[in-house]
Amino acid sequence: MEKKDKKYWLSLDHLHDTKGYRRNLRDRYHEENGETGGDFTRRSFLGIMGASLALAGLAGCRRPVEKIVPYVIMPEEVIPGVPQYYATTMSLGTSAYGIIVESHEGRPTKIEGNPKHPSTLGSANIFLEAAILGLYDPDRSKKVKHNGAESAYNDFISFWREQELKFAANKGEGLAVISESFSSPTLMRLRNDFLKKYSNASWVCYEPISDENNHKAVGQLTGRPLQPVYHYDKADVVLSLDADFLLTENENIRAARGFAEKRKPDDNKTDMNRLYTAESAFSVTGSMADHRLRISSADIGRLAFAIADAVRKRGLNIPGVFETDISDFNKEWIEALADDLNGAKGRSLIIAGSRQPIRVHQIAMILNEVLGNIGQTVTYHNANDAIAPDMEALKSTIAKMKSGAISTLIILGGNPVYNAPADLDFASALSKCENSVHYSDYLDETSKLTGWHIPRAHFLESWSDARALDGTLSVIQPMIEPLYGSPSDTELYALLASGRNQRGYDIVRETWQNVLKGGEFEKKWRKVLHDGLLADSALPNEIIKLNVAAIESPKSEKELSNDNLELNFYSSKLYDGRFANNGWLQELPDPINKLTWGNAALLSPKTATELAVANGEIVNIEAGSAKLEIPVWISPGQADYTVAVALGYGRGGIGAVADGVGANAYLLSNSNNPSFYRGVRLTKTGAVMNMAGTQDHGSMHGRPIVREATLNEYRSNPEFAEEMVEHPPLKSIYPEHDYSQGYQWGMVIDLNACIGCGACTIACQSENNIPIVGKLQVSKGREMHWIRNDRYYVGDENDPKIVHMPVACQQCENAPCESVCPVAATVHDKEGLNNMTYTRCIGTRYCSNNCPYKVRRFNFFNYTGKYAETIRMAQNPDVTVRSRGVMEKCTFCTQRLNRAKIKARQEGRTVRDGEIQTACEQACPTRAIRFGNINDPDSIVTAMKKIDRNYALLGEFNVRPRNSYLAKIRNPNPKLGKTEDKETG
Amino acid sequence: MSKGITDSGIIPGGEAPLIEKNPTFGSITEEISRITERKTPGVWYLALGAAVSLMFVLFGSIGYLVFEGVGIWGLNNPVGWGWAIINFVWWVGIGHAGTLISAILFLLRQRWRTSINRFAEAMTLFAVSCALIFPAIHVGRIWVVYWMFPVPNQMSMWPNFRSPLLWDVFAVSTYFTASLLFWYTGLIPDLATFRDRAKTKIRKIVFGFLSLGWRGGNRQWKHYELAYLILAGISTPLVLSVHSVVSTDFAISILPGWHTTIFPPYFVAGAIFSGFAMVVTLTIIARKLFHLEHIITVSHLEKMNKIMLLTGMMVGYAYSMEFFIAWYSGNIYEQFVFINRAFGQYAWAYWIMISCNVLIPQMFWFKKLRRSIPVMFIASILINVGMWFERFVIVVTSLAQDFLPSSWDYYSPTIWDISTFVGSFGLFFTLFLLFIRFLPMISMSEVKGVLPQADPHHAGGDRHE
Repeated sequence: MEKKDKKYWLSLDHLHDTKGYRRNLRDRYHEENGETGGDFTRRSFLGIMGASLALAGLAGCRRPVEKIVPYVIMPEEVIPGVPQYYATTMSLGTSAYGIIVESHEGRPTKIEGNPKHPSTLGSANIFLEAAILGLYDPDRSKKVKHNGAESAYNDFISFWREQELKFAANKGEGLAVISESFSSPTLMRLRNDFLKKYSNASWVCYEPISDENNHKAVGQLTGRPLQPVYHYDKADVVLSLDADFLLTENENIRAARGFAEKRKPDDNKTDMNRLYTAESAFSVTGSMADHRLRISSADIGRLAFAIADAVRKRGLNIPGVFETDISDFNKEWIEALADDLNGAKGRSLIIAGSRQPIRVHQIAMILNEVLGNIGQTVTYHNANDAIAPDMEALKSTIAKMKSGAISTLIILGGNPVYNAPADLDFASALSKCENSVHYSDYLDETSKLTGWHIPRAHFLESWSDARALDGTLSVIQPMIEPLYGSPSDTELYALLASGRNQRGYDIVRETWQNVLKGGEFEKKWRKVLHDGLLADSALPNEIIKLNVAAIESPKSEKELSNDNLELNFYSSKLYDGRFANNGWLQELPDPINKLTWGNAALLSPKTATELAVANGEIVNIEAGSAKLEIPVWISPGQADYTVAVALGYGRGGIGAVADGVGANAYLLSNSNNPSFYRGVRLTKTGAVMNMAGTQDHGSMHGRPIVREATLNEYRSNPEFAEEMVEHPPLKSIYPEHDYSQGYQWGMVIDLNACIGCGACTIACQSENNIPIVGKLQVSKGREMHWIRNDRYYVGDENDPKIVHMPVACQQCENAPCESVCPVAATVHDKEGLNNMTYTRCIGTRYCSNNCPYKVRRFNFFNYTGKYAETIRMAQNPDVTVRSRGVMEKCTFCTQRLNRAKIKARQEGRTVRDGEIQTACEQACPTRAIRFGNINDPDSIVTAMKKIDRNYALLGEFNVRPRNSYLAKIRNPNPKLGKTEDKETG
Repeated sequence: MSKGITDSGIIPGGEAPLIEKNPTFGSITEEISRITERKTPGVWYLALGAAVSLMFVLFGSIGYLVFEGVGIWGLNNPVGWGWAIINFVWWVGIGHAGTLISAILFLLRQRWRTSINRFAEAMTLFAVSCALIFPAIHVGRIWVVYWMFPVPNQMSMWPNFRSPLLWDVFAVSTYFTASLLFWYTGLIPDLATFRDRAKTKIRKIVFGFLSLGWRGGNRQWKHYELAYLILAGISTPLVLSVHSVVSTDFAISILPGWHTTIFPPYFVAGAIFSGFAMVVTLTIIARKLFHLEHIITVSHLEKMNKIMLLTGMMVGYAYSMEFFIAWYSGNIYEQFVFINRAFGQYAWAYWIMISCNVLIPQMFWFKKLRRSIPVMFIASILINVGMWFERFVIVVTSLAQDFLPSSWDYYSPTIWDISTFVGSFGLFFTLFLLFIRFLPMISMSEVKGVLPQADPHHAGGDRHE
């Protein structure tokens, strides 16, 4: 970033800073109404997105709304209207996700996975996709605050220099830092510098959601700080002990990809993995399971021991003591599982969820060891540059704070006042510190109680670096000048470590001088920036030796009942709450319970009946003296007498989106049992809340919607999906249109691979400028998502299975919507697309009524009219922003089709297969969605449509959808006969 | 009415005369004209005030709708059409009685129609006016609703002639135009009577203008009757076509519960059913208020009740046939929709519909009930309630729960749905009150034509003075 060296100007008016120019600028950025703040308007919004010195000469300009200011001198390589793509990385805890950012004239608009990066493999999850909205969030903190008053970063620097003098003398006595966990060479270097300089200071790390227990288990068994990496693509039998590895555990994209690849039944109809899960609340992973055991979280420890015992009985030497009472478990299940694990040595994988205590992680690791999985399906890597959270260290720091031993507390990221366990009472400990600093994205619960608040630059505005779980190194490069001039992580860490106010760019390059050794630094550096990672930087597998002492056998806890419920916390689509002000995530339906805008106390139907509570009834969760008012939501498949509550809700005063949504489950959290504990009661309050769920009906009513079979059934009848519906010959009385020429776009969705995560929905929302509508509108059934994820329950009400089905516009060849539109606003094109002309639409909604899939979405109000200026910047300029009264729907990302077709025509060729990816396809972690030219016999989509599982949803109506689905196959263990459930509705 | 059209003035089989109390031509003219000529009664002002207030509720609701968007209504994603379309179909249905009475009964030489046809035709026009508001305001972008019309434009964009909504535009506007012409043509001789009786300058000018130089000469009567006959001929297919076309709004779609060939005749029967019910409701009030019991006799009302009995049973037949076909088709979606209508989340609406439309008219098998004014008044109102619910059941239940259970939802109206509907009564009654105050509510010339003395050979001899 060369902003200090050059002055970029938009026009001569800008260069000479005339009054007219300034007025125009002010109008454009609404300085007066304070939507963005004055500081922002003075900055040239010309972003230099350039990634490197090579690109440093590039300048971009956000296209003005009111007055076009053309480039006077056209920057090289920038063609207005043609987006550019840059690689960078998003960190979340100790994970790093390599991403590609689409940038329009210097304005990042869309995040996609980096195909080269091992943690994303070209796909994304909801957090990556939604991060772009986080960048433009108008509620982000913009100003440095000191004791509640507006201040400046320079004042903070002066403050820190005074502190430096003080702590230089006593080596940091009374100085403490609480940071987020990270895995970054630069941040680690700066932290080490800091601790070297202030050797008496403490640096602890806190994350409410972390792999702390897993790391501790590995540490205790191996004596080394190693990071496990799981290889689901090599595992034939997977046992998940409360691990939602497909969605909420870290590295979920890679896990989902590997899992789906191993789950394809098509080649020989035998080679398909089998998944066992044991969990209390229904998770996405549980919904994909072949055998799901509904069990309270606290019993999973005993279950793990019972499984280990059963495996040992099959002749494997498992160290430790495994005498445990399993009389209350399903023995048949355990025996069948043990046989399966025993028969798949080196090809099985046992994973324990991050919510589970250390003991369960140890058992999982020992089982993996004796089954020969270590080195095969799970590998261990050095955790260089990573700092993992540590609850014990946090506790002792808080104790020191309370005793007044800490005079200056610096909180780097995180939000401990909100999300530290309630029993630690962080807020009162904080008040004992003479000086306190909080560096954060929002002026949040913690910032309001600290002396200093420093706004944090978004990662898309910052220079930094990160190391993925397998060790792959990458550089985080900014896509845009900080919107509010906030310092980045590296800049603030460097200030603390060295007292110097350096630029992030220099700090990161300093670190990388040691990484990119051997000359030609600039060339290598550019290559890293270009690729988004340092090739071959993954760390090697470590050969480990387990040092197993006797593991304490878990005791049976007091039996659960109506008066002794088990309370479970789980991470939600808001993660730990840091994404609470992200409207896309708030409005994304939960993959299982389909709730938006809020959390609930999830109960099994049986428990709800016994407690006589119904959906939406507000109850008090009473845990000792702590109480939390929260509405009930009945969740089939939840373990009986357990309550599950999503974390991250119940915010106050941080932003227009987050405030007042849901209940803050951290108020019940407990530092000894951070994820679950027993002894909880529910009492009714009598109040009822309106819940905004997007799917009221969970049953398929016997309709052949999601078609499903077991692997055996599939083998004996490969055409089962087509045969599930009898219908007359599909003939039209009209002459058929000729679709045999040119591109014919089509899509296949593999229901066997879809995990229901919702990444497609958010990707589509980002790509296609889909507005959010808020809780009230969602509760009225007016959500706008173009691709939704339908979830159906199959089987027993208390212990059902779940199937997921993403549904977007099916692009029918005989589209029912087209013939009924009185103004021909929705019409077919020769490539088989059902096009929607927003400017022609008058909004009769007849098309939506006549759509059998109900995928059309209507703008009941002017949802997009009141966007803050920054939100407008998040819009994709290639897609019309729809106004009130207009119908909209999936277009197969027609803007991407056209861009690729133009490019192909310029190059005198046809569009290559895979060259166009729709946003949903691109995001899908399991590659369940594939798009392409069905006229091309060699395309992937054609090959997939030829698979015998292929069927058209509601195809019996002769609407001829261009989308089709591959039926779902489950692979149950034949020894567990009763779960061979053929029912599909 | 001339001899060419009417048969003998004698009622065969010794039935009671169509018009009671043996009025003369003069007394008919006097009685009916006087209503518009006398000093405006206070109660009329009171009624008009109430109606106009209600009309402003309609206009206010529309104003807010235009300002905010159709989101103010209770619509949601599966249920894209709600009260607006229900109201449209309901009002259009009511608008069926007028033309049926004027045109079809005219061609069938049902001379009892003369006492009620003017009234019914006016009601038709006002009901269709109310109906036309709803499709216009229910669209998302009201300001471009004219794109529904085939207006030549620089984009060479024509409407989509495959869309039933477009057929609606033509069908309803044609029906409105034909009904207006028919009504006005029928009014001309009476307007001339008003002109001749006019005492004030304004009345002289206005009615002079409106009566188009009518002198009542033989040539004029000859042309007039021919024109009336032709208009009746033109209007007759419209009676059947307009609601058939309205029904295609549903029948053309692929939605279970909508996609059915029974809809055109079923809708027409339902429309006549509700139209007659509305005529009965309004007639009972008007004949009482204006002391016209001898011109609009109980026999007239009884005949209308018989038509309601007939069309009510046709509607009931359609209801049962829909169930039969749903079962017979073997289509699980169709079967679900019908079982769901009767026993699902909107079962209450379904049973209101069945009670009002099928059970209530069965009372009219009994002559005593058929001729009882209070009974038929309540029945006629309930029938229109039932017919409104019929449209509610059709529109909402099919949309709320169609193919994929994932998108099912529940629809409930908002205050704005209700205010718009209630407000449309304001418009209807405002127009109606203006009509009865300023125009002859009973066709004087036609009623005279069915008096015994209109027939030169009438049995009672010439009682002309």
